[in-house]
Amino acid sequence: MKKNVWLTLLLLVLLFLTACSSGESASAPPKENSKEDTKEPEKAESTSNETFTYASTSDVVGMSPILTNDSVSANITEHVFEKLFERNDDTKEIEPRLAESFENTDENTWVIKLKEGIKFHDGTPFNAEAVKYTFDKLRDPATAAPRASLLEPVDTITVIDENTVEIKTKYPYGAFLAALSHSNAAIVSPTADKELDLMSNPVGTGPFKFVSWTPGDRVELEANEEYWDGAPALKKVILKVVPEISTAISMLQTGEVQFIDNLPTEQIERLEAMDNINIEKKEGTPVYYLTFNHSKEMNQDPEFREAVAAAIDRDAFVSKLNGLGVRSDSVIGPEVFGYDASADNAGTPYDLEAAKALVQKNGYADKPIKLLTANRANFVLMAEIVQAQLTEAGFKVDIESMEWATFLDTARAGDYDITFLSWSNVTGDGSELLYPNFHSDNIGSSNRGQYNNPEFDELVVQSRTTIDQEERKVILNQANQMMIKDNAAVVMYHGIVTAAMDKAYSGLILAPNGKWSLKDVTGE
Amino acid sequence: MIALIVRRGIQLVFLLLGISFLVFSSMYIAPGDPATMVGGPTATESDLEAISENLGLNDPFIVQYGRYVKNAAQGDFGYSYQTRQAVSEAIVVRFPNTLKLAIASMIVAVVIGIIAGLISALRHNSWLDVSTTTFALAGISIPNFWLGALLILVFAVNLQWLPVGGLSEPFYTVEGIKQLILPAITLGTGSAAMIARMARSSMLEVIKADYVRTARAKGVKERNVIWVHTLKNAMIPVITVIGLNFGFLLGGTIITEKVFAINGVGRLMIDSIAMRDFPMVQGSVLLVATLFVVVNLIVDIVYTYIDPRISYD
Repeated sequence: MKKNVWLTLLLLVLLFLTACSSGESASAPPKENSKEDTKEPEKAESTSNETFTYASTSDVVGMSPILTNDSVSANITEHVFEKLFERNDDTKEIEPRLAESFENTDENTWVIKLKEGIKFHDGTPFNAEAVKYTFDKLRDPATAAPRASLLEPVDTITVIDENTVEIKTKYPYGAFLAALSHSNAAIVSPTADKELDLMSNPVGTGPFKFVSWTPGDRVELEANEEYWDGAPALKKVILKVVPEISTAISMLQTGEVQFIDNLPTEQIERLEAMDNINIEKKEGTPVYYLTFNHSKEMNQDPEFREAVAAAIDRDAFVSKLNGLGVRSDSVIGPEVFGYDASADNAGTPYDLEAAKALVQKNGYADKPIKLLTANRANFVLMAEIVQAQLTEAGFKVDIESMEWATFLDTARAGDYDITFLSWSNVTGDGSELLYPNFHSDNIGSSNRGQYNNPEFDELVVQSRTTIDQEERKVILNQANQMMIKDNAAVVMYHGIVTAAMDKAYSGLILAPNGKWSLKDVTGE
Repeated sequence: MIALIVRRGIQLVFLLLGISFLVFSSMYIAPGDPATMVGGPTATESDLEAISENLGLNDPFIVQYGRYVKNAAQGDFGYSYQTRQAVSEAIVVRFPNTLKLAIASMIVAVVIGIIAGLISALRHNSWLDVSTTTFALAGISIPNFWLGALLILVFAVNLQWLPVGGLSEPFYTVEGIKQLILPAITLGTGSAAMIARMARSSMLEVIKADYVRTARAKGVKERNVIWVHTLKNAMIPVITVIGLNFGFLLGGTIITEKVFAINGVGRLMIDSIAMRDFPMVQGSVLLVATLFVVVNLIVDIVYTYIDPRISYD
């Protein structure tokens, strides 16, 4: 009997040792998922200034721009891949990136000239074929791409010559260049996509090349020494998954990582007290707003919406954000195409007495309001403050808080009276904010407030189908002003995008949509 | 013993079948649509429809479950909705980290727990006993995430003796051991406290037994009385608690792995639940269940060694 026990224990120890040692090799991804097998294994955390580690609170979903639609994956794809166009953060204009130039031969035809002599990381030439291949794959229903809708207006894509592609749209599409500047419209290597799975083996033209991915743990990139726009100074970039933001901040403090982004409001003080980091802040494109469930009878009463808007002191809320919010009534924020400063104060101003009078006049106090909120940091804060303010005005408000997935479903099903939503707006275009969130076409999916205003719809469609950008600005402002006057939503604040980087490095480019580029980052 | 193992193996199959049904149906009923989580808040209706179709979510429940069981029986546990990675592959990468963490925590728990329990029983009602039981009570009461954050601040940020997080180095290297210390203490403290309390009360009971008195009367050395006659007999309930605590530890890995940025199965499970990644949730729950059954089987085998009167044949 004793022998048996010792044998069992011995076997268990052996099992443990094999498990642990196989774990080490498994922490490098399987061979077909990596190019690492051709290289010398390297120590992950090198202290060299050329290795730069970014702590991300979640892992990438994958690294194919076609098949992903989350900001963490985009942080990697934006460094490995490039798009035809890109928005200039300073001028807000869209400029060519992989494209050389474009022209509209008619309202529905876009002839795009591509830059010459660029190669993908696998040596495949970047050309019109690659563009056609990428866009056809993105819009193919069989691909089930999360952002296939970006190219929904596209009718045909034709290769004119090696470096010219012609795209015809079904109708004039004003936000087309903005759509092409979206992270999900980045150009992939056709050869690589046919041979490998881009989700785990991304191959693009960008400043960094993919090295390896250990799901749940890290992604490693290396400098693309042959990058057409000059090789980056950082030789190695690591995305390290650190789910707990306070742990990530501790790592930044001890130098285990060099960079974090999306700094939470409540951690700003701690970060500001650290002397080895620089905090970057920039006014951004994200907007956070209260929306009504417009399908409910109570919410269709304009006086009800006015009373709610008048009861909410947005200035008081923004003052609680430790400087991470910009106050404006405009739904289209200051950093978004289509913004006009005249919209800043166009909304119903805070006026508690006026709100109380409306509540009393219409007997709103008797109708309980269900305030739905996702249990994410700033949303809960918003809900609590707004509940207190509405209660002060005489409303009866019950908060229902739920985790993200349940929240998205409940909001889509319309099971609430008022809720908070946000939109980060990657393209920075006003149409890309108003159409998905407020156009009646998208009731049942992304228009969670179920706002349905035919006049407004018409303006949004015009903003999308007008090619002249100046004209689009005017139309977008009209639509924006219309929904503000209508109290369709009450804007709580516009986000400030943030990042914190080790002082030994400089050159970070932080864009208003929260994306950042490490291409020009250099160590001391 | 072979019979015991075979019997448990057969029970395990039915157990896993039951668990898989429970998990599958609760995930199915739970609010939150996996397609929305894949498409994100920006996805349009047509995007969502295409994703649902692609993931097979439009099929009736019984078809989906049947397909899952059929594939699982052939060793195919499906693919993640989110990353499209094979579930078995995702788990194989993470499991060694969770196992390392669980075993290291168990070592912390057993060593501290038994020593504390022993001291406290042998110095019954002394200041040593009172302080040990007080610490044990505190150990049970302190939440994991708080202890973890505190240890990081003291030992990693202020003293800089140990790294903040990660578990990427091999466990037999100095770096690897350094990485394991804080998470193992964080996770092991609660179990250590429970084991200490059990060891103490069990020792106190055995120490009063007739055969211990007889041993002393026969002039056996006190060291032998404690190590040979008392400790071994007091260990049966302690081993039971250790086995049960292993399950508790596996649950605790969820928090500990998150706080210490460890890429383990606990974190995979909680992240997958949040993202409604059903195949991933299924895979990790089944693994944890299997592990729990195996550990309890080991506990049953260890009983026979400690108390030869126990036999399964």
